[in-house]
Amino acid sequence: MKVKEIMTRDLTAVEPGITVKELILLFERSGLTSVPVVDEEGRILGIVSERDIIEGAMPGYFELLYGTAFFADMNRFSQKLREIENDRIEFYMTSDAIKIEEDEDDLTAADLLIRKNLKALPVVNRDGILVGMLRRIDLLKDLL
Amino acid sequence: MILTVTPNPAIDKIYWIDRLDLQGEAPLTRATRSYLSAGGKGINVSIFLAKMGIENVAMGFVAGETGRALERRVREENITTSFIWAEGETRTNVTLLEKGSEQRPVQISEIGPTVTPQALQRFFAQYKRVLPRARYVFLGGTLPPGVPAHFYQELSRLAHKHGAKVIINAAGEPLSLALATQPWLVKPDTRQLRQIDGYALTDASQIARTGGYFVRERGVGALLVSHKITHDVLVTSEDIWDLEAHDVCFKNLLGAEDALLAGMISALIRGASLLEAARFGMAAATASAESEGLIVTDRAQIESVMSRITVERL
Repeated sequence: MKVKEIMTRDLTAVEPGITVKELILLFERSGLTSVPVVDEEGRILGIVSERDIIEGAMPGYFELLYGTAFFADMNRFSQKLREIENDRIEFYMTSDAIKIEEDEDDLTAADLLIRKNLKALPVVNRDGILVGMLRRIDLLKDLL
Repeated sequence: MILTVTPNPAIDKIYWIDRLDLQGEAPLTRATRSYLSAGGKGINVSIFLAKMGIENVAMGFVAGETGRALERRVREENITTSFIWAEGETRTNVTLLEKGSEQRPVQISEIGPTVTPQALQRFFAQYKRVLPRARYVFLGGTLPPGVPAHFYQELSRLAHKHGAKVIINAAGEPLSLALATQPWLVKPDTRQLRQIDGYALTDASQIARTGGYFVRERGVGALLVSHKITHDVLVTSEDIWDLEAHDVCFKNLLGAEDALLAGMISALIRGASLLEAARFGMAAATASAESEGLIVTDRAQIESVMSRITVERL
């Protein structure tokens, strides 16, 4: 089965210039947890997820800690999130996003999703333009 | 690829009832049947085209749980979605079809979600990305709160810039403003007022005069106007045609106009002339009006109606 036959046919994407706040609203309204970041023609520039924003709003020293035991509450996180809410999302996206061509087969897609531990892959046509998203559930539905 | 824009899509809920009883302290009318579908002019066109195997992308503003349900239903039809998420709730439009009065459905329409300037900006960015792959752009329906009246005008202008043919099915100021961009085909929505940009569309001869003016003087490619339920007048730069559907047994007129335009687009994609396409579109509309569902998409069923569609030069 080709990727284009099983992918989710959705072109929801964002421009690198939209703000963190706009992205959070998009995630909240659409139920999506990640979206491709594209240029004016629809070519993939990266992918940005809820996780990228959470990591961006964590205090810089957080990754040096083993857990949240040293955090009294969520105030620091909330304050940092407000500080970055008007930032362009391009500062938080994963730039070297893994994508797949629509004519690739489902086995290649499964391999990518598992090996790279991804939840979704942007699907592009031969010109590199976004044509859909392949999610884990699309593969599972295909195999059922 | 065909791009359809439905600024204010809806979940359409149809109830069939024996009689609408409004008497008594707490009137209750029980439905004998009901039907639920994703709707709105462009959505209906997209559904038809997808069933005909024609690749298309549906755009518009959606919101809330109803928006999610609508998006899911549209995707289940193998349509590519490119919706912009707005604040509030996508419309649910209710239609009551009373036994014996199916030609006069009672409709309750919601207003739709409010579109913010940011959502509008994101729509245009997304629209410009999809446009280069579109052969035809279908623009249809009312505008939700927050979307300016020149919305269709701007979309039509951008589509022309990319060489796509624009088909518009709308009414009022949004249509009047879009006429300045000289769309390829215009079908005025005459459900509320039988006019276009202040010019009357009352009967066949009036439609022919008004249509002639818009095609010759205002640069509109062609004008298609329904009248007397079973007639459509097609005005082109060369001719004026009256198409008539004969021996129609009406069951549900709701999706007929969308089936007409969707049928036309599908025939045009197959290489038909505008007149041949209009005839196929009218057969699709007739088949839909004779079925209880919203739109008939079975090509054989539509073809079987073709013999009842006649064409006469006016």
